[in-house]
Parts: sequence; structure tokens; C-alpha cells
Amino acid sequence: MTTLLYHHPICAEHDMGAGHPECPERLEVILNTLRKPPFAALEWREAPEATREQLTRAHPAAHVERIMAAVPKTGLRALDADTALSPRSGEAALRAAGAFCAAVDAVMQGEAKNAFCAVRPPGHHAEPNQAMGFCLFNNVAVGALHALEVYGLKRVAVIDFDVHHGNGTQAIFWDRPQCLYVSTHQSPLYPGTGRRNEHGSASNIVNVPLAPYSGSTQLQEAWVTLVDPELHAFRPDMIFISAGFDAHQLDPLAELEFIDEDYAWLTREILDVAAHCCEGRVVSGLEGGYSLAALTSGVAVHVQALLEA
Amino acid sequence: MYEFINLTVRDAMTSAPMTTTADTPLREVERIFDEHDFNGIPVLNDEGELIGVVTKFDLLKAFTLTSKTIIPHYDEIMNHPVKAVMLQEPATVTPDLPLSRVLQRLVEMRIKSFPVVEGNRLIGIISREDVLHALRRATTHPTSERRS
Repeated sequence: MTTLLYHHPICAEHDMGAGHPECPERLEVILNTLRKPPFAALEWREAPEATREQLTRAHPAAHVERIMAAVPKTGLRALDADTALSPRSGEAALRAAGAFCAAVDAVMQGEAKNAFCAVRPPGHHAEPNQAMGFCLFNNVAVGALHALEVYGLKRVAVIDFDVHHGNGTQAIFWDRPQCLYVSTHQSPLYPGTGRRNEHGSASNIVNVPLAPYSGSTQLQEAWVTLVDPELHAFRPDMIFISAGFDAHQLDPLAELEFIDEDYAWLTREILDVAAHCCEGRVVSGLEGGYSLAALTSGVAVHVQALLEA
Repeated sequence: MYEFINLTVRDAMTSAPMTTTADTPLREVERIFDEHDFNGIPVLNDEGELIGVVTKFDLLKAFTLTSKTIIPHYDEIMNHPVKAVMLQEPATVTPDLPLSRVLQRLVEMRIKSFPVVEGNRLIGIISREDVLHALRRATTHPTSERRS
């Protein structure tokens, strides 16, 4: 069995304006890298659109319709200081969330051991009722809730190593004891949530804030002491990864000092947990990462590790 | 150097410096920095009393990453008022302070200038450059050279 790569050309047509760091080129550099010989074993699949049923497990129907209705026919429509819609944003957002659901289906049906969703817009800041921080729908939460609902899984875990805290995923999971959310992120930084004392209603939220300039040593220490034991104790039936690459030392929007090897190490650690708890079932998907160089190298080592699982 | 030791702030300061107010937008402060070789501008209240100092450092600080937005937005931040970023209750000096003391403080506090006040009233600014000029003037005087 191989690793699936979910993508769709429309995801590169979501455009938040000239110079915006969450830009179509992010996908271009990722896909160009994954077309190269070391990744020949990847099986490429087009992401379908998420259905309203899938989206409304994580968002009220009114949020979904509000976003879709706000999509402009031409030009841009700003949702907040950082987040905007262009004419193809609605379809891109549907396919970004749909990628996670399709990846769940494929992995649960034994078509692949794991999958990576190279999609945008990202999702982890999207709260049930609020698009924000470049995110419209919470792709990873939609995927996780799809796995619980359709396949009758008892427990799912999302591991989020984006440099920003996934306030949206935390909000959606807060009252769902069958969902574990684990986040390593820089603090202080946007969006300001993710303190260690935010535990969720059933101690199902594990926040690991890292001080600016934290690097490999602090990451590995936090993982071994705080994250790994929680994951093993929770025994997820499927693991999701919010794979942001903006904790990389080259990223312009944060101050953590991760290097490529940290992403390889993290991915292997997650795969070890998955092998132990859930027969290796992992669905990963792109969140942030605004240095094209770091994104290229970070995704490469991440997907390489998924392929080698 | 003996002549320098005898100098006070009043001998070297820049009198009647340009000032700003707490409600002035940062855009205006940035324009002043761009046009003049100032590092900081005293902030006065309606009564003309010194209530703060705004510096280039404060402008830079306004653009650092925070929890409010992923990306700091230039136009929005430049509309913020001076009071959002200024240093309140800045360290000040009086005009009769020996310049040698000012030199010590500039180095120890790693700052670039002090407002000069008499009571609450601002009467000048004394900067690193003012002290350096005073040092040179004091020691290039023919009498001073012989003494040093």
C-alpha cells in the first residue's frame, strides 16, 4: 500500500490578493516537488468537494452558506484583515475539506496506509461560526468528524504542528471527548489561544506553547514528556495531522527555529504512535507555512516519512 | 577634558525641540523621522507638559508579531495614535546636570537621548550626538588640548 496525495487545481485559484503570503505559489512549489522521482510511489487523486452533510458536522449550516454566499463574482471580498475570498475560493474551500473526507474513506477502506492533502485554503483557525486567519472551513475537523460518524471510530486525534495555535480545531473539539487535539505552537503569537491550561471538557485538549526561538531540543523534549504519553493513553483509532511548516527557521511570520529534520522526526514519531494504536492510519493535510523554501523542504521530508511508513 | 567636565546639559542641548501629542497618528511621526535626523520626539499634553517620548524603536515595535493578526497591517498601524506606543514617564535630565553625568547615563541605559525638563516644562533634548559634539568642542580648544 502506498501514500495518497489529494490535490485539486482549483485550490491554486483561491487568491487573497497580490503579495498575500497564503498564496497559490505555495501549492505550486509543493506539487512540483512531489512530482519528482523520490515521490514516484505517491498515488495522486483529485479532491472531491465536501458535501454539506460533511461540513455541517463541524460548522453550523448558516456558516457554510454565509461563506459560500460571500464569494464574489469578481475581485476580492475581505472577511477580516487577513482573510479574503476570490471568485474560486468557495470551490477551493469545499475541495480542501473534501480532500480530508476522501482521504479518510480511502485509508479506512484499506486503499492506502496514509494520505497527504496538498490543499488550500488552510483550516485550523476556522471556528464553528467564524472564518479567520486565512481559513474558511476547518478541513481537518471535518475529516476527523467524518471518520467518527461514517466509520464508527471511537476516538480520533489531531496533531497540529503549525506555528500558530489551531483555535478553530480546539473550539470544535472542546466538548467532544472522543476527539483529542494536540498542538505545538509559538506563544505569544496569533491567535492568542492555546495556553497550557486550556484542557477541553474531557481533558481532550493538549496545548504545548513554545517560547520564541525554541528549536529541536525544546520540541523533542515537549513531545516526549507532554505529547507522546497523552497520545498513547488516548489510543486513537485514526490520527490526523495539521501540517503547517511555519515553525521553520526560514518562516517570515514566526520565530520558532525548526529545521527540516524536525519535521521528519515529528512525522516519524506520529507514525510510530499510529502503528502502535491504529494500524498506521494517518491523514495529514497542509495548514500554514509562508517561506516557499521551507515549505518545499518541509513537505518533502514529511511526505517522504509518510511513504516510508 | 577638563572643559568638558565643566559643561552642563544647558551648554550642549538642542533647545525648543520639535514635539508631538498623544493623539497624533504614527504616520505623522514617521514623516517627521523621515524628514529630520531625530531618533525620538517628546510627547506633550495640552498643558505643554512632558508625558512621554516616541522613538523609532517604538514604531518598529508596533510592527512586531502579536496575537491580534497573523500579519501586521501597515495602514492600520500607522493610524494608531502616539499614545498606543510611546514610552510614558521617560527618564529625563535637568539643565544643570553635568554633561559627564549625561554621558554615563546614555551608556548605562543604552538610550539615545533625554528630554531636558525644568519642573514639568520641556526645554530641550540632549542626545548622543550633542554629547559627542561637546566632547570634540571641549577638547579641540587650544587651552584644553594642552591641559589634556
